[in-house]
Amino acid sequence: MALPQPQKNNCALSEALKDDLAAVMVGSGEMATYDFVFNAIGLRDWCDAAKAGNERPMSMAELLAKSKGQSGVETSWWEFPFPSLDALNKACAAFPQSRDVTVGVEKSFLAIKDSLRFVFDPMTQPLSWALEWALTLFQATPWWIMIPILMAIVYFASKSVRLVFFVAACIAFLAFIDHYDHAIQTLAIIFVCAFLCVVLGVPIGIAMSRSDSMQRLTIPILDMLQTLPPFVYLIPLIFLFSVTEPKLYGIAIILYAIVPVIRLTDLGIRLVDKDVIEAADSFGMTNTQKLFGVQVPLALPNIMAGINQTIMMSLAMVVIASLVSAPGLGVLVLRGIRNLELGVGLISGLGIVLLAIILDRVTKAALDRVNAAQKY
Amino acid sequence: MRKFTLAIIGAASGIAMMSSVANAASCGKVSITEMNWASSQIITEVAKFLMEQGYGCKVEKVPSATTTAVASLAENGEPDIVTELWLNSTGDAYSKMEKAGKVERLADVLAPGGVEGWWVPEYLVKKHPQLKSVKDVLANPKLVGGRFNNCPDGWGCRIVNDNLAKALKMKAAGMEIFNHGSGETLATSIAAAYEDKKPWFGYYWGPTAVLGKYKMVKLSIGDIDKKVHANNSNKDIANPGVSDFPPAPVLTVVTAAFKKRESAIAELMSKVSFNVDTMNGLLAWKKEQKASAEEAAVRFLNQEKGTWSKWVNADARKKLSAILK
Repeated sequence: MALPQPQKNNCALSEALKDDLAAVMVGSGEMATYDFVFNAIGLRDWCDAAKAGNERPMSMAELLAKSKGQSGVETSWWEFPFPSLDALNKACAAFPQSRDVTVGVEKSFLAIKDSLRFVFDPMTQPLSWALEWALTLFQATPWWIMIPILMAIVYFASKSVRLVFFVAACIAFLAFIDHYDHAIQTLAIIFVCAFLCVVLGVPIGIAMSRSDSMQRLTIPILDMLQTLPPFVYLIPLIFLFSVTEPKLYGIAIILYAIVPVIRLTDLGIRLVDKDVIEAADSFGMTNTQKLFGVQVPLALPNIMAGINQTIMMSLAMVVIASLVSAPGLGVLVLRGIRNLELGVGLISGLGIVLLAIILDRVTKAALDRVNAAQKY
Repeated sequence: MRKFTLAIIGAASGIAMMSSVANAASCGKVSITEMNWASSQIITEVAKFLMEQGYGCKVEKVPSATTTAVASLAENGEPDIVTELWLNSTGDAYSKMEKAGKVERLADVLAPGGVEGWWVPEYLVKKHPQLKSVKDVLANPKLVGGRFNNCPDGWGCRIVNDNLAKALKMKAAGMEIFNHGSGETLATSIAAAYEDKKPWFGYYWGPTAVLGKYKMVKLSIGDIDKKVHANNSNKDIANPGVSDFPPAPVLTVVTAAFKKRESAIAELMSKVSFNVDTMNGLLAWKKEQKASAEEAAVRFLNQEKGTWSKWVNADARKKLSAILK
């Protein structure tokens, strides 16, 4: 049985083409694809100087090629490599490899981490305090005080008795299956993070709506926050803060969930009717008066929709947050996944869904009241 | 209905027999797991090379993690080979499958086995030479930062550690126990402590890239008592005892169907076993060179010919020695 050969094109046309190109591209078996570039511009000496005493790790493909008496890997024209750092390094040892780039990024982060910590650690400390405080408060309050308080908040926000009983039933169900403690921890975290998202997000949204250049600057950042995998920035953050700090997961949740409230605040204010603004101008209103008396009230439905989305997205981060030691339902989900206990995972996942439905219905009911108030 | 089922089974086994006859001469497709950590990736690369170049198999690497691999084995009988399976993190899902005859263990892929334990950084021991065992740490918790870095919820070691903490009365000794949320934060906490030369104390295991890169000293928890350790592995027990971690079994496992289908490959994999020291050396080299798992596998193949040539059969040895002169 024959050894599998490195892929070659068997078709006659490509063979012929390959022969033509071989002289330029591949050279002899001793050379790498891009050797001709460095030879042509006379950098061969510079390249070879770096080669001395620098033994590179060998890849499988090179190993197989070596057994056939060649040091470089011969390529057909079809597989002509992109002039990447690694390909150029093969031809010229003085070129950095792409792994040197990642090493460089890592080294520069470690070099500036002390100054980063000096700035960010005190700045974010209140977040840790708020989370610790909310978790203690929510957990120390006994359930027979906590549930009525929650019901009162729901009534105040929605003025709907039906919704109040729905919420009470959901929480009673979670408590009945012994998920109350975890659910209330999750609720405490969401409470703090969503509150901070609104406090920080609405002003940023207002600033974006008032300045086009601010909007141009902010939108790419918002796009990045929504797509960057949280662990990519969470792991470096552990180098800055202690891993035991609650702010680690607080930051993860806020960065992800703050986006909709910013976007919708900006959109809401920009959508305020031009005629209304003109009328406000003709009354001689100052900018501040216009903002708080006209624009923000008229944008309120959009801002409320943003807050609703922000709360939903912070719930979506509950499991990720538990990967950085956040307490709550996420811990149960992870335990279920890790031990293949499907029931544990499904029930706690359902708990998260129930919390999401509660928060969504309550904020939507509040939104409807705002909408209705604007219509008369 | 019964007859119909029987007919289908008959036809299926007929096809299976035919294909096994066809495969007797050559090796077909083989799927092998590639776990998401460095040592397993090296093992998979080495095994893949031996199978492809020595036996002419077509090898497909399946990126997996312990639980996903076990779940897939249980439900689909795929992939064919699961390697570097840490028995202590599979729960009872694995033992159930083994009892049902779905899978067979071929070898301890790490000899003598995985190292688990409680560690402190080397610089801390140099600074405080009195830290020789966990007892010394508990006598003076401030020296290690007063915090024990525990496993995440859902890991096998979490249950053992919790029981040990109870048996050692760690909280009473003034040691705060911090439960990590994931293996990533556990590893990063070591790296972050090392960067600042801060104290660190907690659970870790090897061979891993982390222990390869950061010099850590394993502190003795006590003598190894397998009975006590087995008892400690159960949740909510009344009488947790003190025992250090015995070497953890780390296995290569194949499906029963695969063993029948590709007996030569099963025989090869039953011999593939890495010494822990060799693996640690490879991992340290890999980290130092910023090399890929594939490049580390090439280094192993080039340097340890005496080891792997004992794994393969005579025919494959001839083919492989032509490549690796």
